[in-house]
Amino acid sequence: MKNPLRAVPVVLSLSLGIVFCSTSFAQSEAERLTALKARVAAMADETEYVEAITRIQRLGHAFGYYTDKGFFGEAADLFADNGTFQWGVDGVYKGKARIRELLTRHGGGSMKEAPGLPFGRLNLRMQLQPMVTVAADGRTAHARWREWGLLGEYKKAIFWGDATIEDSYIKENGVWKIAARQYYLNYEAPYQGGWAKLAPVTGNWQSAVAKEFPPDAPAPLQYKPFPAVFTAPYHYADGNLTAIQSQPPVDLPKRADDKLGKLEAQADAKQLQLARTHSVRAIENLQAMYGYYIDEGQWKKAAALFSRQGSYEFGQNGVYIGNASIERGLSLMGPQGLEEGQLNNYVMVQPIIHVSEDNRTAKARWRSDVQLSRAGTGGWGGGVYENEYVNDNGTWKFSNLHYYVTFWGDYDQGWGAKPIPVSPPSKDIPPDKPPTVVYQSLPKLQVVPYHYVNPVSKKPHAGE
Amino acid sequence: MFNRAMKFAAVMGLFCAATAQAATSDADLKAIEKQLNTLGDRITRLQDLTDVEIVQHAYGYYVDKAQWRSLADLFDDDATLEIGGKGVFLGKDRVFEYMNIGMGGGGPMGPKDGSLIDHQQFQCLPTIMEDGKTAKARCIAFVMSSGGWGHNYYEDTFVKEDGVWKFKKLHGPFNMYAGYRQGWLDSVTVNTFPEKFQPYPDLPPTVIYLTYPSYYVEPFHYPNPVTGKPMPAPSPKAGGLAFGK
Repeated sequence: MKNPLRAVPVVLSLSLGIVFCSTSFAQSEAERLTALKARVAAMADETEYVEAITRIQRLGHAFGYYTDKGFFGEAADLFADNGTFQWGVDGVYKGKARIRELLTRHGGGSMKEAPGLPFGRLNLRMQLQPMVTVAADGRTAHARWREWGLLGEYKKAIFWGDATIEDSYIKENGVWKIAARQYYLNYEAPYQGGWAKLAPVTGNWQSAVAKEFPPDAPAPLQYKPFPAVFTAPYHYADGNLTAIQSQPPVDLPKRADDKLGKLEAQADAKQLQLARTHSVRAIENLQAMYGYYIDEGQWKKAAALFSRQGSYEFGQNGVYIGNASIERGLSLMGPQGLEEGQLNNYVMVQPIIHVSEDNRTAKARWRSDVQLSRAGTGGWGGGVYENEYVNDNGTWKFSNLHYYVTFWGDYDQGWGAKPIPVSPPSKDIPPDKPPTVVYQSLPKLQVVPYHYVNPVSKKPHAGE
Repeated sequence: MFNRAMKFAAVMGLFCAATAQAATSDADLKAIEKQLNTLGDRITRLQDLTDVEIVQHAYGYYVDKAQWRSLADLFDDDATLEIGGKGVFLGKDRVFEYMNIGMGGGGPMGPKDGSLIDHQQFQCLPTIMEDGKTAKARCIAFVMSSGGWGHNYYEDTFVKEDGVWKFKKLHGPFNMYAGYRQGWLDSVTVNTFPEKFQPYPDLPPTVIYLTYPSYYVEPFHYPNPVTGKPMPAPSPKAGGLAFGK
């Protein structure tokens, strides 16, 4: 994997430069002032970079809240004037007016009686798991998203929806907008039977909407939906790791006890605080990136996101240590790249991320809802991660990933009527160590230990 | 990027080669201090966005495991809570009662074997207000429970006191509640109401509505992120039976 230029390498270079120069000869005040000015300018760039990630997350989330409730014009307004929307294999729709009508038709709304939805219509489209890469110029960006849909009509027909989204964004007059959305529909599966009972698609599978409302251009990529194996192209397929990078850890230098030294020390503190907020976003992206690789059975790529001494523990399968061993542990979920009919959706949501004071390590709690399919049988799952991360010279990696299974359940009967016990360690691909915690899944329930105290009262979790 | 690196090299070259001993003026220092303070405010806002989400996400994990005391501790002493059509509960103690009695049946706290109540927090959209001391967030709870499915929004208000963000108001309007076997095809719950279960609220609901299959949209606390326009009112012809009053 190549090591691309980071978006904001200047801050580190400056820190090193200061150390180098200051050990060579004493700095004059003017020199120190020049260095401080350059450092503050670099911090301004980095602040804008982290803000961009949050704005893009906001755009995606806002889109979901609009489409949920039939505000399709407002959703289309999130696009640039010449923005485009590629819907599955249907084709590409160009411009806000066309995008509005596209969303209205797919969501069951009305172009006249808008915004809103008619009685009985459900169009909940949750926008999850953003993996945001902002370009070095700070003017364009890309993101991968997952859409999880609860769709259909009361007393008529209802569906689960699943799609991967690859967006590009543009910043115009200081405002981030969606420039192009590629919406890769994976399935709209009837509730009864679910995704596991879907038959392979043959021939043209353009939607009914496309037939009545033809696109402005054909789709640049043809593919078959689930149960076929399809991986939506990654915008980071070239190995660009910018999204999971922040500042490398640095030791805070001692500053002179003068006016300028106080300012230098103030800048040091702000710089560290900024680096830690940057790291939060890098860790969000890392977890999302890992999730998308798991979805697609990309065990090697997922294992490469761990540090060399990293460890991986899933349910009661035991602990796998080191990248090669972790790859073997991941392969318990299926063959590399998965097979037709296998679904392995691990939705990465609800992060609680704490970066250490020195920006060298981090811990995070996450949750996965799991949608599975193996050999025509569907399943649901849910569980909690308590993970640890390490800042490896500016690139965040997993040092320990630990997924605690809350439940597995049969799709047709549900987890209530038919919970499935958590599986023991594999005999074929044995772990390096036994499980660190022994527990049972639903119907048994237990609290997964928190890496944090109560965020408001600061009390530890005890006695409940 | 290369341009920036070259600019940096030029700065460093100049800096290392410099011999001039011009004294730094107070004006220079003041200008930098001002820049640092402005940047510091923006960095704090970035941290605030994360901290507000942490409170919301922590709430979800506590519901999962019926940790009602820890949950109530996320609220300010005079915070309010309103979920579904149940009405308003005033103060941290009443938040605890709603959870412990209303959700937990008044029994012992903590997870009960066989009783899944996972309240997954999705898609948070937090906004830090101009004052830096209040925040709002629209979020989703996607519920997978022993009873089936639930989907509701939050439009919550947070306050920052002594550097700590906490709930000032939790408002959770429902979108859809349905059983497992048929899903949202027909076995749906259109809302709760004040006397549906104990404890009874301190104040009536602030909004009366029926949710799916009817239509209700909780107002958005933020304008459109691109156009800056506030949320338009939904069409009176959309949605069928019930609208918020």
